[in-house]
Amino acid sequence: MSEELSAALAAEEAAIYAYGVIGVHLTATADIAEARAAEQVHRTRRDAVVSRLAALNASTAPAPAAYRLPFPVTGTASALKLAIHVEDGVAAAWRAVLPASEGDDRSAALAALTDAAVRATRWRRRAGVTPETLPFPGR
Amino acid sequence: MVLTGAVVITGNGHTRRGLLAAVAGASALAGCGVFDSGPDVPPAPDPLQPVLVEAVALAAAYDRLAAAQPPLARRLGPLAADHRAHAAELARVMGTAAPSAPASAAATIEDLRAAERAAQRTAGTACRQAPAERAALAGSIAACRASHVEALR
Repeated sequence: MSEELSAALAAEEAAIYAYGVIGVHLTATADIAEARAAEQVHRTRRDAVVSRLAALNASTAPAPAAYRLPFPVTGTASALKLAIHVEDGVAAAWRAVLPASEGDDRSAALAALTDAAVRATRWRRRAGVTPETLPFPGR
Repeated sequence: MVLTGAVVITGNGHTRRGLLAAVAGASALAGCGVFDSGPDVPPAPDPLQPVLVEAVALAAAYDRLAAAQPPLARRLGPLAADHRAHAAELARVMGTAAPSAPASAAATIEDLRAAERAAQRTAGTACRQAPAERAALAGSIAACRASHVEALR
């Protein structure tokens, strides 16, 4: 499970970085508030995974100082697109933890997957993307 | 069928229920191996069955509301399609055919949101209890149902 959890940690780190970029390019107050709240959720989750990996005696790689974004973020539209991309990626990382875990670990992974899917749907609506949902989030 | 001998069928609903109860009792006893040691024990229902039943029922509920209120069709169509995709994948994994949808009155958006919440809990429970190879499917279905609650806001 440590391997899958480490991948989830990397996804959470990338999300925290991405929301920093996203926040700069959003202009609507509600969007900015949503991005801040999302970043905080990912920080909390990141901290929880770090603790869990430490309890499992698994080593963790330090987060990269910067990331190459999947596409240039130049304004609101590309910022919203990145937010969707990030949440879909986080969902995929947590989905991979499900078969590798049991009990409380699986419940935590399910909560994280669900949270990312709901937030991705919210960003799709804000970006005017349809359909707003995916049939199998994280797949 | 030794236990049904005493029941007289008169066309009266009460005694017909009595017959059904007696038959059920007989098969339950048979299932316990009291009268029959053969392998007649019905297989335990698949734990994903409730998730499948809800997927089919939810798809039908969306279809009914879209038919009753055509302006909603564009919004509800993709959500119904998600549930149909779930039903198809669940039926494939379970090696069964998808059940037919129950008939019921057209729901409201509020009804659908409540049904999605309940269905999310069902799939979440299935995910937590599933063997590894089914955990991701049940988890994605739970997450999708939660995203439907958001999409119905």
